[in-house]
Amino acid sequence: MCLIIGLPWLGALIVWLVGDGHPRLQHALATAFSVGGGIAALALLPFTSFEPALRLSMGGVFGDFTLVPDGLGVFLAAVAAVIGCLAVIFSTDYMHGEAQLGRYYAFVLLFIGAMAGLVLTGSLLILFIFWEITALCSYALIAFHNDDPKAVAGGIKALIVTGLGGVGLLAGALIAFAYLGSYDINTFLAEAGSLPALALSVIAFGFLAGAAAKSAQVPFQTWLPDAMEAPTPVSALIHAATMVNAGVYLLARFYPAFEAVPGWTTTVLVVGLLSSLLAAIMALVSTDLKRTLAYSTISQLGYMVAAIGAGAVFASQFHLLSHAVFKALLFLGAGAVIHAVGTRDMRQMGGLGPQMPFVRAVFVIGAWALAGLPIANGFFSKELVLEGALGHAPAWAYWGMVIGAGLTAFYTLRMVSMVFYGEPRGATHAHDAPAAMRVSLAVLAAGTLVSWLLVGLFDDFLGGSLPFHEIEAVTTPGVIGEVFTAPATYLALAVIAAGLLLALLRGPLVGLGRALGPLARFADVGLGFEHLNRGLINLTTGTASALRGAQTGVISWNMVGILGGLVILLAILVRGA
Amino acid sequence: MSLSSPLTIAWLGMVALAGVAFYGLLAVRNLIKLVIVLQILVKAALLGLVLAGATSGQVNLGQSLAATVIVADTVVAVIGLALAVQIKRRLGTLDVRDLSNLRG
Amino acid sequence: MLIALLILTAVAFAALALRARRLLTSTLWLAGVSAVVSVVFYLLGARQVAVIELSIGAGLVTVLFVFAISVAGEEAMGARPLLPGVLAWALSILAIGLLGWFVRSLAMPAPPSAEPAFSAMLWGQRGLDVLVQVILIFAGVLGLLGLLAEAKAPLEKSVAEAIMAERDRDLAAMQQRAHDIHREKEIV
Repeated sequence: MCLIIGLPWLGALIVWLVGDGHPRLQHALATAFSVGGGIAALALLPFTSFEPALRLSMGGVFGDFTLVPDGLGVFLAAVAAVIGCLAVIFSTDYMHGEAQLGRYYAFVLLFIGAMAGLVLTGSLLILFIFWEITALCSYALIAFHNDDPKAVAGGIKALIVTGLGGVGLLAGALIAFAYLGSYDINTFLAEAGSLPALALSVIAFGFLAGAAAKSAQVPFQTWLPDAMEAPTPVSALIHAATMVNAGVYLLARFYPAFEAVPGWTTTVLVVGLLSSLLAAIMALVSTDLKRTLAYSTISQLGYMVAAIGAGAVFASQFHLLSHAVFKALLFLGAGAVIHAVGTRDMRQMGGLGPQMPFVRAVFVIGAWALAGLPIANGFFSKELVLEGALGHAPAWAYWGMVIGAGLTAFYTLRMVSMVFYGEPRGATHAHDAPAAMRVSLAVLAAGTLVSWLLVGLFDDFLGGSLPFHEIEAVTTPGVIGEVFTAPATYLALAVIAAGLLLALLRGPLVGLGRALGPLARFADVGLGFEHLNRGLINLTTGTASALRGAQTGVISWNMVGILGGLVILLAILVRGA
Repeated sequence: MSLSSPLTIAWLGMVALAGVAFYGLLAVRNLIKLVIVLQILVKAALLGLVLAGATSGQVNLGQSLAATVIVADTVVAVIGLALAVQIKRRLGTLDVRDLSNLRG
Repeated sequence: MLIALLILTAVAFAALALRARRLLTSTLWLAGVSAVVSVVFYLLGARQVAVIELSIGAGLVTVLFVFAISVAGEEAMGARPLLPGVLAWALSILAIGLLGWFVRSLAMPAPPSAEPAFSAMLWGQRGLDVLVQVILIFAGVLGLLGLLAEAKAPLEKSVAEAIMAERDRDLAAMQQRAHDIHREKEIV
């Protein structure tokens, strides 16, 4: 199991050391290591268990470094490793001819390893450490083209916002340690009831803040659209399929501990719902292909978060699996389009279907899943989520989600038609995707079409190895039967169909669109959240600049600082003694 | 611990050694001398470790920890001296006051 | 009693190392501190680490320092210290005071029934430490390469300019000669 983390990290070191003089070697090595990691992750699947597989004592203060291969962790690690490996294969063509490949691949592989570690670890402290490592890799990869000020600004914004969320996570972890004396996650889940109510609430909301920041939920959602400055394979891997799932993972894993906290589940539900609706509205008016996909990611994550708020943990994780696959597919497909056409602006695309038939085919499959149409995996998982909401959540939540599904269908069809159909608006002639890109795209498309068949197996994983969660036992045929016979399904399909219809009739509805013009402009600035986030970032960078005066550069003053710190530490210890 | 038992004096002696090193950290201007002061500080720490082992009867635990610290501190000395030599070559001085390239 | 005396000697040596004018003298006093401390280790019953400290502290590190000092050269420092003297003394005395108080109030744990031998302890209980030591030594070797590396000093500006000027002159001379040959051909 250490191979899942170790192989990508070893690969990161080696690719970096190979140096930028041998790009072909770097491509090959990166692919080899990421495939190795993927195979290791898949090989782990049959061995899920509740007990920690690796336990290294780190001394009394820090607890144990444990790796626990339970169902949830192994599943997410497999997602991270396999999609990571596909993204690396895609990168060999996308990043062909780019400079500084060593830095790129090293960070991507480091990220894959860290993500696997994040979901597999059984210690809260190590979880936080891996959390921050993924944030660091995300920043480094967003700002990869570091001569482009937009990219750098996007990277810093992502780092600050997710970092602030991380503070919530750390605070929660420390409070838990103070009361329970251990960082072990399973211990925490078992004894959560014994914590005083206030402490448990603080931990619960701290974790929620961390998860919301990481998964780009309201009010932290503005970093994800700006993170689209990253190279597209990075967007596919980090910002669609893995890192943003870390927040949802956190909520899912700690749900049994927090569901009793008053107001928590409602807050989670509201946060998820708001995010999904808000993001869907912003996706309606966006003209940048990747930004639209970013908004749709936020929206789908909102679905997952709301599902957890409604208590349907299994449905949310299943939707996570489906979403990871089809969103990665969509992003990589978008990458192929952008690589061929040279721009991200959808107004300059159009009519690309005949020029790029393969990409159009896979993109349509992904869009099919995103909109929640039958047979694709998105359909099944979305229906499960909606059913869970119908069962456990208040009525307004259910209707909100259904409307969200309709909006999703609308903007998805808009996006597909703007890019692949209609009259060509751009001037360039586009070529279809090269071989390596096709490999990744084809695998993901196949996954989109069939991954829902795994639902029974998946449920066994989770149910068998997560003793604290209540997972209803379902089987694949059972789910199929349920989904096709439930009236909720047909209701949702009707709304989706309505959304599609509205999209097709966009032309005649242009007058309505113009009336909604001011709304569109408001949506463009993220409905006011952008100002909030920008203020936050200015505050942080301003404070950092002001503190530069304290760095005199003369070592003796640094020594004064160190010794002063020692004095304070000793004073505290003496006081406590 | 009682005030006049020999081990207490040993402990206080270790604190005094650390104190000399603390003052040296603040007052020394030559970079190589600073590395020497660091070495003194680490010797005080080693003394503390072994004393703790001796007073609590776990001599071998104290020794194992001290051995690790010796390895680490030798590596620190090597790297510190390498830095000092390179600084002297490129910037021409080892005086701490003039080495403020990291200002701001 | 002997132990206490030896430690005070070590403190005295350390103070002398601080006050010494020349770096080599400082190094010798440091070696003295190392030797005294290793004797103290031996007297406390920590035999193995006494040997390690003597050979590495008084041996290897001293040689290292002498090498570095010979490469870097001695330098006369300004007499006045950088920080206000009061600050340095105050902070040090504060630190010592607190440390001393802390040490006085330490409660020692009860000794275990039987302690494993040194090597068993080192490889058994502190196994992770040994792994870390290997990594540290690797880092140290890399650092040593830095110590021994020849610095590639950039060419001094005047020298560079002289070379460029010479090159320009050669080029001008060649062009002149080509021009002359051409003129000769024309005349002929």
